[in-house]
Amino acid sequence: MAKISVNIDEKNLEVEVGKTILEVCRENGIEILTMCHLKGISDVGACRLCLVEIEGVNKLLSACTTKIAANMIIRTKTEKIKRYQRITSELFFAERNHVCSVCVANGKCDLQKLGYKTEMDHIRYPYLFPECEVDTSHPWYVLDHNRCIMCTRCVRVCAEVEGAHNWNVMNRGNKVRIISDFNTPWGESETCTSCGKCVHACPTGAIWPKAIVQGQLEKKPEMITELIEKRKMNL
Amino acid sequence: MDSSTKRKIVISPVTRIEGHAKITLHLDANGNVDDAFFHVNEFRGFEKFCEGRMYTEMPIITPRICGICPVSHSIASVKACEMIQGIQPTYTGTLLRRLIQLGQNFSSHALSFFHLSSPDFLLGYDSDPSTRNILGIADKYPDIALRGIRLRKLGQEISERITGKKIHIAGIAPGGMGFPLSAENRKALLAWIPEAMETVQIGIGIIKKFHEENEAMVKSFATSPTLYMGTVGPDGELELYDGNLRFIDADGNILQDQLDPARYLEFIAERSVNWSYLKYPYYKPYGFDRGFYRVGPLARLNIATKMKTPKAQKEFENFKAINNGKPVHGTFYYHYARLIEAMFCVEEAERLLNDPEITSHNIQAHGRWNYAEGIGCTEAPRGTLFHHYKTDDTGKLVAVNLLIATGQNNPSMNRSVLEVAKQYVKGNDIKEGMLNRVESAIRCYDPCLSCSTHAVGAMPMIVEVIDIAGNVVKRIERG
Repeated sequence: MAKISVNIDEKNLEVEVGKTILEVCRENGIEILTMCHLKGISDVGACRLCLVEIEGVNKLLSACTTKIAANMIIRTKTEKIKRYQRITSELFFAERNHVCSVCVANGKCDLQKLGYKTEMDHIRYPYLFPECEVDTSHPWYVLDHNRCIMCTRCVRVCAEVEGAHNWNVMNRGNKVRIISDFNTPWGESETCTSCGKCVHACPTGAIWPKAIVQGQLEKKPEMITELIEKRKMNL
Repeated sequence: MDSSTKRKIVISPVTRIEGHAKITLHLDANGNVDDAFFHVNEFRGFEKFCEGRMYTEMPIITPRICGICPVSHSIASVKACEMIQGIQPTYTGTLLRRLIQLGQNFSSHALSFFHLSSPDFLLGYDSDPSTRNILGIADKYPDIALRGIRLRKLGQEISERITGKKIHIAGIAPGGMGFPLSAENRKALLAWIPEAMETVQIGIGIIKKFHEENEAMVKSFATSPTLYMGTVGPDGELELYDGNLRFIDADGNILQDQLDPARYLEFIAERSVNWSYLKYPYYKPYGFDRGFYRVGPLARLNIATKMKTPKAQKEFENFKAINNGKPVHGTFYYHYARLIEAMFCVEEAERLLNDPEITSHNIQAHGRWNYAEGIGCTEAPRGTLFHHYKTDDTGKLVAVNLLIATGQNNPSMNRSVLEVAKQYVKGNDIKEGMLNRVESAIRCYDPCLSCSTHAVGAMPMIVEVIDIAGNVVKRIERG
């Protein structure tokens, strides 16, 4: 594979062509915050946390969807990027009803961890307090829209790994919602195989197994990555 | 009487209790108390906003009602969940729940007695209000203050060593417990027991001495007879975690015995009043006017036939002797009853910690939604607690009813305030000490109103004597 030279955070690197900035950073131990990225499935640049500055480009670009190119000079930890990340995490919390203390994912939640990482000590935006459905119709799992951050990992993992494409996205703006089939209750879905991959892909407490309570949640998104890699090896 | 001569005294907020409340005293033309109202001026709304949630979330949501008795809420809630699933918790799961509940019970009783009430006994009702608190006790009786704080700490440490959380417990799950107790943590908890027992005995010494020195006051302090309700075991023994309900009348006659808590609605009704957010529950067969009943430590000892542990049994016999085996009505005896119960909790905690099964990993049975309705009941530190859930056929809650101990004591608290106010508040010269006695009638019940607010010394109390035209005739302020 052809190699190219890039500079990330004042560090000169020789990297393979065809990779995304995020992949290159992770391979070289450069930390980039993400919520919607899950290794192995396609990237959509939805969460806007992996934004980086590239010299000569007049806007921030998402590292997960931007391919690395020769002689790029990239900065991942400028004050501007940190400010944007903090704003983004605040907006996540303000948009829906995230109450960590009673959430099943408390202590195991990527959104909670993001709050700590971006040093979010308070939220400067008014909470929207939207009225959100809790879909308990599936016999084993719950979908709580209050805790959904629209990362769409569930949508992609269901379509790309399970091949069921039960999940989809409806509406726009802050009315956007994850839907099952053509907006039917999850329990009535004709496509869901109840495989549970969306449960593991979900970074928050939005999708969780009915059988567990706070403190017992174990999500293993890396299991999905492993599954994809093993499938590739078989091919 | 001409209404223009009536006056009103407002005590707001009531201090050294858990939560916010105020008292209004209405005086007649001669300065005597005509009527009294105990207002709970907070609104929480848990019953409403829990609707729409999954029933299995309730053992985590409901402990947030209270920072003092979160375990009781979690246990009542999980029992309701188990009724919905139709399953029983494992033996070890039950042991661990019982242990955590005992810890919470004596921790709460330590808070009530040492932190909130002991300043009245050790420093005096008429002492300087600015130091009549736990800091004043720490100054004059540092050993007692420290012991009280450490007893509370042990109760919370039981929860922490099992679930990792001191206050708002996690891990009480339908079918048992989410976390086991390690051998190391069991050893560490057992090491606390002797000190805890000593502290409870010191507390009993303090209250007995106060009883001896203030016999007339203790015997005459809000002594109106009421009915009593609580949970008993199969032989009528005091039971906190599980059991059936017993109602007795003011003479000690058993009205109902071994009543399945799931039938509570057949025996308890509630009525709203327009001056308080707290409802007025009553014993249904006797009606609203005659059906006032009390719950909590005094009620539990009044209804119980015996105690399960030896030291507590001995003290229980002394308690029963106060009224020759009949129910003890004096509200002041709540403190004594609370300490006897704390003694039972420490003894019982030691017994459970010595059970070889307590460190077993067989902690949780598993079930799923089977029935649309669940009722859970347990004894919280302040009395019997009911959680009642109704769900749709996917497990989503459609109705929640929480019947809290303090609510059940509400009618009696109101009456005790009136009695004490009639006895101590007189004329135009209202002294702070008089009002402290009125407040202490409330404090006897250790009410948990929002269960979240605690202030030491900094909480102001304002008493205003207002004439009918709205003019402030007299104002006393402290804080």
